[in-house]
Amino acid sequence: MTSTSETKSSTVNKHPLPRDRLAGLLDSASIEPLHPPDDSGVVAVRGRINGAQVTAYCTDVNTRGGALGVTGCEHIVDAIETALHEDCPVIGLWHSGGAQISEGVASLDAVARVFAAMINASGRVPQLSVILGPAAGGAAYGPALTDVIIMAPAGRVFITGPGVVREVTGERIDMEGLGGPEAHSKKSGVVHVVASSEDDALWRTRKITDLLARPGEFSPDAVSEPRDLRAFLPERKRRAYDIKPLVRNILDAENTDDPFEEFQSRWAPNVVVGLGRLAGHTVGVIASNPIRKGGCLDSVAAEKAARFVRMCDSFGVPLVVLVDVPGYLPGVGQEWGGVVRRGAKLLYAFAEAVVPRVTLVVRKCYGGAYIAMNCRALAATNVFAWPDAEVAVMGARAAVGIMRRKELAEIPDDQREEVLARWIAEHEQTSGGIARALSIGVVDDVIAPEDTRSVLAKALAAVPPRRGLHGNIPL
Amino acid sequence: MAEEIRAEIVGYVIEVVAAEGQVVCKGDHVIVVESMKMEIPAAVETSGTVTSLRASVGDLLNEGDLIAVVE
Repeated sequence: MTSTSETKSSTVNKHPLPRDRLAGLLDSASIEPLHPPDDSGVVAVRGRINGAQVTAYCTDVNTRGGALGVTGCEHIVDAIETALHEDCPVIGLWHSGGAQISEGVASLDAVARVFAAMINASGRVPQLSVILGPAAGGAAYGPALTDVIIMAPAGRVFITGPGVVREVTGERIDMEGLGGPEAHSKKSGVVHVVASSEDDALWRTRKITDLLARPGEFSPDAVSEPRDLRAFLPERKRRAYDIKPLVRNILDAENTDDPFEEFQSRWAPNVVVGLGRLAGHTVGVIASNPIRKGGCLDSVAAEKAARFVRMCDSFGVPLVVLVDVPGYLPGVGQEWGGVVRRGAKLLYAFAEAVVPRVTLVVRKCYGGAYIAMNCRALAATNVFAWPDAEVAVMGARAAVGIMRRKELAEIPDDQREEVLARWIAEHEQTSGGIARALSIGVVDDVIAPEDTRSVLAKALAAVPPRRGLHGNIPL
Repeated sequence: MAEEIRAEIVGYVIEVVAAEGQVVCKGDHVIVVESMKMEIPAAVETSGTVTSLRASVGDLLNEGDLIAVVE
């Protein structure tokens, strides 16, 4: 990898210099270098975001294409270890071709040390990665080991580029198609947030860092004003709807910005995850979304939610779980795709989590998905339900159809519907319905939709804040 | 760029909302599918004109089946 751009002169640089990119990320005049200037291709600094301390590093694409050599990798490790010692977030700005070929196996060893440092810090301090240009090979796996990946429009992430792909497999694709924002927001789920510009990427990174580094205090009295949240449900029970307007209205309004910083919005969209504030405190929201796949859980949705739960748990971010779920998605593809193995991750993540976590059943909650969505037995802090919510193994009609199939078959056709209706009513009284869930304690209370914000905030504030002592493995 | 709207979940088409040649906006519904005992609309992600509509009421759609093209 010989390059004519080894001498750094701002007059010939095609791309912004690290100091300019870091200046866009951090509070003005807050930057302190962690090392003297050098030609390593990496700049590591200490700085502030809305006054909160962070460390940050930036690869310099103007120096050998941002290739990661031994010294540059040492700077990244230093930024991560400084963040650990000082208990603050660490942010990486990436625009790099990966390991520096001219340093041979020494650079591979150095990149591996970066990975080891990231894994050592995982779950202890928030790690964010911002992809500003192509980030290949080692520069791809670095961000993948961190908690949140934000991608600018020019961002590209791949292990091997289009040239190697074509040589080996014959597939023809450009860098953007292979590893651009569309590919990683919709197909792979690698990227959590897609930004509309480089400035927007740095702004969103500041916002997410602020949510994690300055969680605030719960002030339940501040959210006692009733909000008409039931209006977000459709009239008809069978009708699917988008859960996101409801999520946004449960969270605190922001002055100009979206109150909900959603992660992976286009990947596994049947479950929605993201950060916001409720009564002044940062919370993580996990919500089934009925308008996508009916809100069913499936393999990828369970993995998406499980990783988010574990990230929030490791940083002490309390959870709000909104449930309107008909079950796990049936199908051969799901079973052979490992829905048993992959769906189990969500059970594990919730049961393991020690952060305050409150569930609200908005409309219905059936079957295995009832268990997976933070139920009482998985040690939810509280489980609430809106009036008319159903909590059951399955809908009453389906349950009666299975349990009394033989008897039903013997009833004359013209009487079957009438008998079925009676049995359904009986079944709802004995096994289904919210009354049964309340009586055995799997639902704590039925709450008025307009009081939702206040009830959730009080429940989360009532238990001691805790955080899980574990890493955030990329599930 | 053309957007292909494909079925996300197996189910029967119970309503066709859009028509070929119709101008649609992001979030507009094209059809409604019945699946998991629910009525689930399929929406467009980008505004444009429906140039092809492949689904009719009563059709059984499998996951991935093409419903419509919006350009």
